[in-house]
Amino acid sequence: MLLDVRDVSVRFGGIVALDGLTFSINQGDICGLIGPNGAGKTTMFNVVSRIYDPFKGNISFDGQNLLDVPAHRIAELGIARTFQNLALFPTMTLVENVMVGAHCQGSVGFLRAMTRIGARKENHLIAEKSRDLLRELGLDKLAHHPASGLPFGTLKRLEIARALAASPRFLLLDEPAAGLTHSEVDELADTIVSLREKFNLTILLVEHHMAMVMRISDQVVAMEFGRKIAEGTPKQVQNDENVIRAYLGGDV
Amino acid sequence: MLKIKEGSVVHWAVRVACVLAIAIFIVYIPTHSETARIGQFASAFTLIIAAMSLNLVLGYTGQISIGHSAFFGIGGYTAAILIRDHGWSPGYTFYAAAIIAFIVGCLIAMPVLRIRGAYLALVTLAVAVLFPTLLRWKKLEWLTSGAKGIDSVKYDKLPVWPFLGELKGRDGRAVFAYWLGLLVLVIAFLICRGLIKSRVGRSLIAIRDNETAAAVMGVNVTRTKVLIFGISASLCALAGVLSTLSTGVVTPDGQYVTLLGSIIFLLIMVVGGAGTLSGPIIGGLVYVWLDNTTRGIGTDSRGVVGFIFGWTNQSPATLILGLALIVIMLFAPTGLVGLFRKLSRRIVTIEPQGQ
Repeated sequence: MLLDVRDVSVRFGGIVALDGLTFSINQGDICGLIGPNGAGKTTMFNVVSRIYDPFKGNISFDGQNLLDVPAHRIAELGIARTFQNLALFPTMTLVENVMVGAHCQGSVGFLRAMTRIGARKENHLIAEKSRDLLRELGLDKLAHHPASGLPFGTLKRLEIARALAASPRFLLLDEPAAGLTHSEVDELADTIVSLREKFNLTILLVEHHMAMVMRISDQVVAMEFGRKIAEGTPKQVQNDENVIRAYLGGDV
Repeated sequence: MLKIKEGSVVHWAVRVACVLAIAIFIVYIPTHSETARIGQFASAFTLIIAAMSLNLVLGYTGQISIGHSAFFGIGGYTAAILIRDHGWSPGYTFYAAAIIAFIVGCLIAMPVLRIRGAYLALVTLAVAVLFPTLLRWKKLEWLTSGAKGIDSVKYDKLPVWPFLGELKGRDGRAVFAYWLGLLVLVIAFLICRGLIKSRVGRSLIAIRDNETAAAVMGVNVTRTKVLIFGISASLCALAGVLSTLSTGVVTPDGQYVTLLGSIIFLLIMVVGGAGTLSGPIIGGLVYVWLDNTTRGIGTDSRGVVGFIFGWTNQSPATLILGLALIVIMLFAPTGLVGLFRKLSRRIVTIEPQGQ
């Protein structure tokens, strides 16, 4: 068990965004997190990346209590993520964006930067690695283009490259297929599966594109109003009464 | 359109040519100009260092500070007090000022950098306004000499530097101030350049562009902001020391110690190009040039110039720079350096390596 979420609740004022959510992900799995808009999927992501504090519950990652770790140490532990509505650094080029992703891999601090001790060498190594990752995601032609004014799908891929730069064990993807065409979605699904093999990843995937989730997930968790309503293999979840009701509404 | 590959022979040739041209210019000024001109360049160097320090905080990290005049003042007063009361040799006061300003900068940054945007601007504005008042405070008069300020803290005898020979008199002082200013400027530039072209610099820009994403990438946002503010404060203090050593006086009304100083640093940085390494240099030179050429344009001007600027009773340089700022913000939001880059890109492009 790599990630174990136990009874996690998040409240914003009077609104309960997550209500006693419990689930776990095994090492090497792709876990799909589905649910209608507002079900709390992105909130879940923000809790795991320590942007929000839950008011109740526990999260452990590889046996370590995640709630003891401040936000900036999450990357070091091997957790990386992408954002639903893009959180890139628009004034930087693509390769620089990926280089920031490798922040936790570097060691040059203020003193070494000012005195240039080993800074050049580190820049070189990280730039090399970042270009490799861009090539992996088919973005190498745009390496020195600023990360703004490019198509949404391209920037989404850039976010994946940036997340991978941290050499993570656990990758959280927040709607990577949003805004893509049908053929692009298929391509992305293949990319995700091959990245898992290549980098030995465990992936938590939030996605509205059901065909893709059902195709590549080993395990699916369905949520509604901050609660888990179903869990199991894609097939089990697809046929679950609660899930069908949540998506289609009314009695079945 | 011309294309040059990064790291190719042509690229290196252009670089060497630029460096040579700058070097010739740097040596030409103190050897072939009148004393007043040399002094103008020395004061430009001081302003450039201050604008550079502000650039680290505002240009790169995106945290506005209107309080940098206080750090300039801390540097100036540290030098003056150490020389007058403790008989320090002027050269060592640079180190003391840098350390004191670093500590004060970090202490101010810790609570202050938790707030953002306009509120941060207001709090740092308060720092700038409070500082001269603090200097005039009766209970601190034993240290700061109150409203009088501290004077005659110049070098008794100018130190002898290799290549420069023995410098004497008013001319000698100007030449010495020039080279001392240049030395500190080069050190400050190398520090800034080192920071920016490293993992630290990337994390600064990441904080400016998207703080949440920066934290998720593993940047310790609070620590980075506090440390860069401290470093910026200590660089600004170096500029203050330079100013004290070349003029020999510090008072609570000194132009760069009051709020006006912060505004001038800000203006220089933005006009030159915020978030660029050469921006403050260009901005500082332009500011001092404008300040000196427009000094005559005042109440005694006639014609169109007199009509436009006749109502001002001092140098309209700040006014003209303010107008220039509006124009620049409209046409080149990244300042003169940004404008130059945009125009030169039409003629020459430099292709990065590794494509």
